[in-house]
Formats: sequence, C-alpha cells, structure tokens
Amino acid sequence: MTVFRGRAPAALLAAAILAAPLSAQELNVVERTLPNGMKLLMVPRHDQPTISCGWLARVGSANERPGITGLAHLFEHMMFKGTTTIGTRDAARDAELNRAQDEVQAQIREEMTLLREKQRRGEIADMMSPAARTPRLQELLSKFDALVKEQRALIVKDEMDKVYQENGATGLNASTSQDRTFYIVGLPSNKLELWMWLESDRLGSPVFREFYSERNVILEERRQTLESRPGGLVNEAFNAMTWMAHPYHWEVIGWPSDIAQVTREQANEFFATYYAPNNLTAILVGDLDVEKTFALAERYFGRIPANPKGVPPVVTLEPAQPAEQRMVAEVETTPSAEVDYKAVPAVHADAAALQVLGVVLGGPPMMGRPGMGGPMRPPSGRLHKALVLDQKAATRASASFRGQKYGGLFYVSATPAPGKRPDEVEPLLYAELDKVLKDGVTDDELARAKNAIRVAWYSRLESNAGIRESLAQAESAGTWRDLLGSQKKVEAVTREDVQRVAKKYLVKEGRNVLLTTRKGGGEGMPRRRPGGMPPGGMPGGAPALAPAPAPAPASAPTPEVKG
Amino acid sequence: MNRLAKNAALLAAFAATTALGQAIPDRPEKLTYPAISWEVPKAKDAKVVLKNKVPAYLVADPSGVPLVRVSVWWRGGAYLDPAGKEGLASLFGSQLAVGGTQKTDAAKLEDRLEALAATLSSSCGPTSGGIHIRVQEKDLAEGLALLMQALTQPAFAQDRLDLAKKNARQGLERRNDAVTSIAQLQMPALLFGEGFFATERTTAASLDAITREDLLALHASLLHPANLVVEVSGKLERRAMTDLLNRTVGAIKAGPAAKPSPKVPLPEFARKPGLYVTDKDAPQAMLQWAFPGMRRSDPDWYPAMVMNHVLGGGGFAARLMKKIRSDEGLTYGVRTQLGEGPYWRGDLTGGLQTKNATVAYALRLALAEMQRLKDEPLTEAELASIKDGLVEAFPAQWGSRQAVANRFADENLNGWPEDWWLDYREKVKAVTAADVQKAARKLLDFEKMVVLAVGKASEIEAGDADHPGALKDAAKLPLARLPLRDPLTLKPIP
Repeated sequence: MTVFRGRAPAALLAAAILAAPLSAQELNVVERTLPNGMKLLMVPRHDQPTISCGWLARVGSANERPGITGLAHLFEHMMFKGTTTIGTRDAARDAELNRAQDEVQAQIREEMTLLREKQRRGEIADMMSPAARTPRLQELLSKFDALVKEQRALIVKDEMDKVYQENGATGLNASTSQDRTFYIVGLPSNKLELWMWLESDRLGSPVFREFYSERNVILEERRQTLESRPGGLVNEAFNAMTWMAHPYHWEVIGWPSDIAQVTREQANEFFATYYAPNNLTAILVGDLDVEKTFALAERYFGRIPANPKGVPPVVTLEPAQPAEQRMVAEVETTPSAEVDYKAVPAVHADAAALQVLGVVLGGPPMMGRPGMGGPMRPPSGRLHKALVLDQKAATRASASFRGQKYGGLFYVSATPAPGKRPDEVEPLLYAELDKVLKDGVTDDELARAKNAIRVAWYSRLESNAGIRESLAQAESAGTWRDLLGSQKKVEAVTREDVQRVAKKYLVKEGRNVLLTTRKGGGEGMPRRRPGGMPPGGMPGGAPALAPAPAPAPASAPTPEVKG
Repeated sequence: MNRLAKNAALLAAFAATTALGQAIPDRPEKLTYPAISWEVPKAKDAKVVLKNKVPAYLVADPSGVPLVRVSVWWRGGAYLDPAGKEGLASLFGSQLAVGGTQKTDAAKLEDRLEALAATLSSSCGPTSGGIHIRVQEKDLAEGLALLMQALTQPAFAQDRLDLAKKNARQGLERRNDAVTSIAQLQMPALLFGEGFFATERTTAASLDAITREDLLALHASLLHPANLVVEVSGKLERRAMTDLLNRTVGAIKAGPAAKPSPKVPLPEFARKPGLYVTDKDAPQAMLQWAFPGMRRSDPDWYPAMVMNHVLGGGGFAARLMKKIRSDEGLTYGVRTQLGEGPYWRGDLTGGLQTKNATVAYALRLALAEMQRLKDEPLTEAELASIKDGLVEAFPAQWGSRQAVANRFADENLNGWPEDWWLDYREKVKAVTAADVQKAARKLLDFEKMVVLAVGKASEIEAGDADHPGALKDAAKLPLARLPLRDPLTLKPIP
C-alpha cells in the first residue's frame, strides 16, 4: 500500500483497536513524559534494525469551525515545508518574502471579498473562475507570482524529504483525521537521532513556506480523492446531513471556499494552539534502547516550550437526532442502501458491545494482507448469510461499528442484487436488525466475535508499523491505556449487553439512510464509507500497466486507511 | 501570534538549551551514527523442497504473536482463459476458497473457519494465483487441512459461483465510472493491443459463458506439483512445519489432467506512439505515459532504476514531484515506475491527476524534466544522496517476516534467480552519473512514447489560460481521440 502524506481525510477504525484484547505479555509499552508535557511511548522490538517512528498532535478537523475548514489538513502539508534551518538558502530574505507575500495576499483577499459580493448578487457565476478576475486581481496575482519565483530561487526544495531519504528513511508521510494529525517515518535504527533532530526542528522553528500555492495542491487533492470519486460529492453531503451540529459535519479536507481563503495568520494561531508539546504524543516502535531514547528526546524535544493555556475543548455536542434522515441520490456507480445509526465515541462504555454486534452482523474487521495487496477475507456475518446467501437480494451486505473521539456510527449497508432496488433491500436490513432486538445473539456468535476481534489484534502486533498505528489510534481517541481496558471490556461483553446496545442505538430516530441508484439507470456498487480511500491507490493513480490486474470483486471492501 | 516573534523566542530558547546540555549540531548532516550490521535474508536459508519437489519458503517470526500464515501459489492465470470464456481464471481464483469442498460444503467450511477465527481466501491474477490461510498457531493442523481440502478437492458450489458472477458483472458495469478505471482499460490496449491477456478481455458475454465445469477443468489442469510454490510465515518451528507441509502440500500428486502450466505468451503488438485522449465528463483528468523499458536482468537495470528514482520513483524528493506538485501546485501526486518484466521487458510508466485544463501544461513540465535528465548528468552530490538512500533503505524492504517469505515465493514464481538481492547494494553503489544519463537517453525516447489523457477532451486539448499551450503542441506525436468502450462488451462506443 502506498500512502502519501496529505492523503485525504481519514478513516479511523479506532473502535476496532480500542476494543481489542491486549495483555502486558503481548505488548511492552514504556510511557514517559517530558517536563514540557510531551508524551513518549516506546516499544522495544529488536527483531530487525529498524524503528517505526511517529508523533501525533491531538488536533484534526473537529477542532475547526466554518471559515477555516480544512485547516488542520492544510497544516499537515505545511509541516513539510521546512524550518528556519531546513529548506532555505537565506532565512532572513525568505522571511521578508513571506511577509511581502502575505501583504499581497491580503490585497487579493480584498478583491475576493468584492467578487464574493458580486457572486452573491448573481453578477458573476463563480468567483474562483479565471474569467471572473478583475484587472486589479490579475495584477495582484502577477505580483504575487513574481514574489513566489524570487522565493523559489532561495528554497531548497523538499529538503526534509531529501535528508530523510538519503539516510534510508521509508514511508515519510502524514495523515489528518477528524481527531488527530499523525507524522510518520521508518528509519534504520542507528538513525534515531536524525528523527529527533528533524522532528524537533520542525516543531520548534517551522516556516510555512509556499503556503498559498499549497492550497492549490489541496484543491487538486480534493478533486482527486473526493470529487472525482464516483459518488464522492454525495458522500460528503450525506456525512454533512448525518452530523448536523458537531464538526464531524465537514470532511477533513474542508470546503473548497475555505481552503482557497485560509491565511497564514490563521495557520500560525493554529500551530501555537495545537502543536505545543503538551498536546503531542511521540511513538517509537522497534530496535531501540528505552533509556537512551528518552535521553535523546529530552535533549531534542525538551527545548520546545509548553503552551500553558492548553487546547480549547470541543464543546459542541451532537444533539439527539429527533427524526430519521434520508437522502436519495443518483450516482455514477452501483446502487446501494446504507443506514448509519448515531452511536457512541470509541472510549464509551457501550463501545465494546457495539463492536461485538458489528462483528456478529457484518463479520470480523476486514483484514487484507497488509502491505502486499492480495485477497481480502471473504465476507461473513448474519447480514451476508441472510441477504446475500439465503435471500439472494444483495451481492454484498455488511455492518460495523466505528467509534471516534467525539462520536461514533453504527453502519449497515447492502448492494442490491441485479434487478433489486435499494429501497427493496433497506427493509431486509431492518428485518435482520429486528431479530437481534427481539432475540439477541447466541452464545456461539458471541464467542466467535470475541475470537475474531482477538485475532485481528494479533495481526496488528506482527509489525512495528502495525503497533505504531494501534497506539496512535488509541491516543487519538483517548490514551493508549484504553487498549488494556478495552480488552477486558470485550471479554466481559454478554449477550444481554449486545441486545441492550442494539435496542438503545439501532432506533428509527437515529437512522441516517442513503439510497443511491445509478445515474441514467443500470446497476452499481456500494458507495464508499465516508473518509475512506481506495485501497492500494497512489496519488496520480498510475496503475502498474503490465500485466493488468484481475477485475476487483464488486464488493471489494475498503481496508482501514490513513488520511 | 506573530510568527516571527515566536520564532525569535524559540531560537533564543534553543540556543540557551544547547549551551547548557549536550550540543545539538546546527545541521543534520553533522550528526554521526553508530554502524549497524544487517545481512540480506537468503532465500536458500528459508527454502525447503517438499517430497514432491514443491519449493516452500519458511520464515519464522520470533515475536511470539501466535499466528501462522500459509500461502500456496500456482503458476497459471488469465493468460490461460479460453476464447469466449475470458474471466475464468479470475472467477476460479475467487471461488477456490469459498465454494466448499467435496467433503465439506461451503456453509460448513465457512462455519469451521469462523469457529477457528481463521481466514481462508484465494485469488488469481494474470499469470499466477494463490490460496491463503491465516490461522492461530494452536489451530494450524485443522486450518491447513481445510486449505488442503479447498486446494485439492474444491466443489465450486453453484450458488456461490452465481453470486460471484453477479458481483463480477457489477464490477464490469463500473468500468467507465472514473477516469482512473477508464485509463486501466485504455492504456494496456494501447501498449499490448486487443485480445492479449494483459489487456482487459472479460465481457458480460464471456462471464456468462463460464460454467462450474470450466472451473473444475481449470483446477484439474493447474493442480500439478510443478506449478506450486509455498510461502509460510509466523510462529513456527522449522522442522515441525516441514513435516506438516510434507504430509499435506508435499503429498499432492499430479492428476491425469494436470500439467505444468504453459509459458506465458509474449506481446506481439506494434505500438503506435501518440497522444491519445478519451472523453469523460469529470472534474479532473487522468494523465498517463509509457516508454518501452527493460527486464530486471538487463545489464542497464541498475542505472535505469536510479534514473527512475530521480525522475519520479523517489517520492517527494523526485524531480517530477518537486516540479509539478510542489512548485506548480498542479497535482496531488505524480509518480513513475520502472516495470521489471518478468516475462517480457517492462515499461517505464508514469501518471498524475490534474484539472482537465492543466493536463497539457503538466505534460510539458514532465517532458522538460525528462529532457533535463538526458541533457545534464546528475551532480556527484545528488547521485550520492540517491544511492545512499537506496542502500540505507534496503533493510526496510525486508521489514516483516511475512514480507520476506512473500518476496521469496514471488521471486520463485516469476523465475528470478534466488540470489538476485544479495549484491543489490553493491550494484547500486557502482552506478555512475554517466550511467544514469545514458539510461535516460536510452529510455526516455519521446518518439516511442504513448500518452493517454482521460477527462473532458475539449478542455484537455485546449490547455490552460494561465499556461497557454494546446495538448497537440506538447510533444511531436500524432493526437487522436480514443473512444470510450462499452463496459459490458469492450467495444468502442462510436
């Protein structure tokens, strides 16, 4: 799987991890905290001479508001643009040019304000179109381009990438979700100090170079990962319908209007608030010595001052949904019926029972052969058996619980079989849910679901990177120690618990229903889960050209992906 | 907060800390590192030849995670599909693990696997396929027995096959939904011609024609020890695993219809270099290009690999990424790949997605970077940086036990020499700037280039107002429209 930094909005299957068993024998995590509040998680594994490194900031799109949607993710891109030391030949002149660019951009924003007003009055159709530019705006854009060209002559392009790469780093990347931003790289184990140097440098003295042009990269990213994806814009609208008040309402990549207008000043404020060490967790897994690593971390990261104010809490609570919400759409892909129920955050006391319910209905968490493509687990679970195998009404049916930091959804969906409409399949889904509400689940189903969750957890422990991801997901929704508690919680789930949470959350008022049919008629496929990314894709999407891959199964599941 | 003031304060704090504690160098290049020793894992150390001559690669994971993964791979795939039944190998691959066995019907097999929390799956691609199980160590014997039943006595239950055909049919219907999937149909056709197995051939009619008997017949011909390779990783003890494999996979004998799979056919298509455009109403276009490449066994392979790394294979540090994404903001990502064969020479391919209007400009930028590689040798510093990176990152390519076992099996399937990787680092270090320039001149031959753009054709062909220039002027190649294909028949839509 190729994952690139900035790879879009992130799906967090936090629940799959949080509810997974863990014992001290299976995973040896050493936690230390620096005086400035930065948390360090170290997992020594001496099998191979490599270390999977990462640090996460507890900030994501949930910390945004209208006007600055997409900023957490834009910010993630900016963290690769260098520092006062890295990325420029002349830091002083570079800073002057940044200031000059900011001034021109302020004037450009004035012009954009005028254009927005014209658009509001219907005098122009699209303020972003080159055809709508005023002569002054065109002049300012030219002036700005000249400043960019001058700066470019001083820039050492992507220098951090270069320094990492020539030292044998692999997988340098970052991803942003609703709840966290995560910066990762793999290194030969003798290069740990290089990680300390570069990462503390970009946390201590970042320079957000190429700030304004990077907004264009993100608009292309949005086109590629959301707008060009069949059904992508409908997914975005459905998600916005589902979350009416909470900031999960907007996609991580943000609304296009906001991305185009965000300012460096806003980014600076964002950095000062959310990237102080007391809001960060570093995670190192691999061939390391705990004491030496901690000493290095103290020396490098210890020099960054804490933010004594801390971060403002996300105060908006999603109100109880008063009524079922429905969206009926035509999309350019296979038809689908999806029902998302409002549920609970990943660390909630009911999360474990909801996860078990998801496995009983939808089968174990999808798990491919990580890192090498290959086949996925064949589908299973009650919905598959009933709708696909017995009733032959669907070609795919699935269910799962996904808990995030501030909320969660319980997903149920099916792809109608040829000749069936999504509105015919929807009641069949409810019929299966009603059986759980009425009769609960069996002892056997309960035991099997717990086993499946345990094995899924084991498979995460097979690699340094898998452990790093698990710890990061736990830290983004709570703390890594929740992993321990969630083991006990899953083991303790009873049949009564499963039936109780089903009754509590799978209620009509909590439903968000999306029925899609193929634009222009015909058949089609399930829409993708919000925030998901195509498996194994790469930016640019150039496929291996020879030989051509076998056709993907229609119900190719989306594996867990990073943003 | 004012960024400059903040930075000044931080710099002061940095300086103070540095003076007190152990010195932090002002540049990362000044850091020094302890040596680490690491040896390339050797396929022959992992290899066991089973009593029926099937090679098996066993790689034990010392971490104690109580899982075992076993894959049995076979040579043979879509290139064997009979005319009129294109899609057979792919369906066969999807059904082997889920269609039940002669002893255990599909539902019972699923039930046993669920009881063990084991995962059994299978698939088949253009030239090879495999069946895989992931099982807890304590359940290995039963899990492997289930895999063997599926591998040697599959039932291909009719209802599961019917379902798979419906799923496959829905997959065909999605072929024209996205610019990326359209490009996957069009580009191989431009490179390999119609009717060759590397070009998509499955139609609704060919899918419809495939029967359970066809799957059984393909199975009977493939199940020959000469076609098999085994890959095992996870918690295992070598001797016990060898014994178990000898009693199972090692006991497979060729049936009356079994035969070693025939050689993979070679393409005979004469490419027509050009700029091809397929019209699709989409907010963003897919741009791809391809040049004839080489096989991995070519003496110029290493210089070509380094050249590809500099051009577009090296992630964010690659030249195309710097120019087209970072400088110009035209794309989310651009990348090139050097195909390695194995059956015929690979191609040097690349691609990106950008607004319809900026396709021509992005292509011009890409070609200019290629020209620069032909005109100017790499500086010694640049070359050293690239080579150091490839050498230092090499151990990470062998990062998990599963990856090691998989690589050994894959190399065997593809017929590469077992000792190929042992001198990889030495071969990389020997590459010179002149070698790289020579490789660029040899491979980046614009007259042999095939370019495909899928998106709004009129906007793609006209180019961008801010960067004027039509697509036809981006390269001295003929420009042609390539019609969309009917997703069910693959016939061009007039």
